[in-house]
Amino acid sequence: MFQPVKPAQWLMVVAAVAAMIAVPLVTRDSYLLHVLILAMIFGIFASAWNLVAGFAGLKTFGHHAFFGIGAYVSALISIKAGLSPWLTIWIGALAATVAGVFIGLPILRIKSMAHVAIVTLGFAEIVRIVISNLQSVTRGELGLWGIRPFEGFDLPGFGTIVFSPADKVPYYYLALVLLLLSVAAIALLMRSRIGLSIIAMRDAEDAAESLGVNLTRKKLQVFAISAFLVGIAGAFYAHYISILTPNAAVGADLMILVIAMALVGGLSTFAGPLVGALILTGLVELLRDLDQFRLLVYGAMIILIVMFLPKGLMTLGPMLKRRFTPSSSS
Amino acid sequence: MQNPTSVMPLLQVEHVTMAFGGIVAVSDLSLTVQPGEILALMGPNGAGKTTTFHVIAGVHAPTAGTITFDGQDITAMRPDRRCRAGLARTFQITQPFEELSVVENVMVGAINHDLSMAEAREDARRYVDMVGLSERADVLAKGLSTGQRKRLELARAMATRPKLLLMDEVTGGVDMASVPGLIELVKRLRTEGLTIIIIEHNMKVITELADRAIFMNRGARMAEGTPTEIANHPEVVELYLGEEGGHE
Repeated sequence: MFQPVKPAQWLMVVAAVAAMIAVPLVTRDSYLLHVLILAMIFGIFASAWNLVAGFAGLKTFGHHAFFGIGAYVSALISIKAGLSPWLTIWIGALAATVAGVFIGLPILRIKSMAHVAIVTLGFAEIVRIVISNLQSVTRGELGLWGIRPFEGFDLPGFGTIVFSPADKVPYYYLALVLLLLSVAAIALLMRSRIGLSIIAMRDAEDAAESLGVNLTRKKLQVFAISAFLVGIAGAFYAHYISILTPNAAVGADLMILVIAMALVGGLSTFAGPLVGALILTGLVELLRDLDQFRLLVYGAMIILIVMFLPKGLMTLGPMLKRRFTPSSSS
Repeated sequence: MQNPTSVMPLLQVEHVTMAFGGIVAVSDLSLTVQPGEILALMGPNGAGKTTTFHVIAGVHAPTAGTITFDGQDITAMRPDRRCRAGLARTFQITQPFEELSVVENVMVGAINHDLSMAEAREDARRYVDMVGLSERADVLAKGLSTGQRKRLELARAMATRPKLLLMDEVTGGVDMASVPGLIELVKRLRTEGLTIIIIEHNMKVITELADRAIFMNRGARMAEGTPTEIANHPEVVELYLGEEGGHE
């Protein structure tokens, strides 16, 4: 991870980005773009969760709290204060960060991961219940609707960009920009000294501490950055979908889906959560007809991957290569 | 090198007691270490050697007593801050960062000195070379043998550029053939002015390396002197003959 990026890897990144840029040029199918936009939102979420759970080894199961806080704070401020979503998504992300530090301060001193898992999960459930019961502000289970869309603007060379439910293309490119910025931020962070300390902390906490790593500070830093990114994803989601319910924005199902994405794609890799987000978001849509039976397919897929590819689909390539090359050459 | 009358000891442990619930692992232990000295902690299993290490390294805050390092009271200081103050350690059970390469393991120690990642990599390579792991520099640490892991521990600790190094059983669990190499390595470290405390069971290693030894039993100091004096100390002899006499 800390080696210089190889030309072949750069090529893969450029090719993937080019393909993503090209999709709306090939098709304007609004359903396909919608699925891809969701996949990108989940891609940010899963990558940010992977930062804490995969790279830093902090097993938190309450990141949907930050998604919901980002979504609701941005939506409510834009509605009540009449501010532009272009501004409020950052306020939403900051609110998620503050919540992350608030919950991180007490729990990240604990060395027991089971406690971290339970406390974060409990925290998210509290956030969901508060949003659900604070009906005068959030409208609770009735759903918060009438969330303002992003304002359009003039882009030289492309004319006026309008964000409306009819045209998904502007949302698609905005989601892509947010995704690329998030992944770039994570990659830069992980390749820095902070990244090195974080991996060391995950692999052997006591040794890392004895070598000068301030454990609590590093955990808080990475937790706050992750909460910020998840908050941004949630805020964008709010203004894209334009209706929020406590279950859709802070439900435990959301967290389970994101964990599945990171596991299926490959924990502790940059591309794994993205691949997982794309596959599972697509699968959710493909299996929509199966109704609740799709959970069976889902479960089976996760079990198969955990059994045969415990490090996720990203290790499929290297594994096949090893299997089909003569053993003498390895 | 040995200078017991030096005015300012590098490390001063005063009346340290470490109790876990009702179990007293170390009781009222005092010791000083002079700059440039190699001090050995000896004693049977359960004597409190590793607990003493942990208290000095900051893993446990002592129940009573104070620890002064380089003129600074470090009794309540966190391990990471002790590291930056110039105190490094190796672990009895090696703790490599398994998913990092050997050189990256050492970089974790090197980045304390405000080096960029590229500079830290270069710096780390020097320490990897020093402990003789150059050929394994780019493999993941999980692929190392026990002896190599011990060397990695040393390289990592040295990369923090310590004044005092705590070494917990550097030769423990290492095959006999590797022991002389490790002894040579530690000797080379001391020529660079490093002060060292070692925990060691192997008497040959102690006689070769240590200037002075403290023999601990049941959490307290039982004897102190040169390694040879300790080896001939009546109580020590009795303790070991008593133990080994039972086997033979």
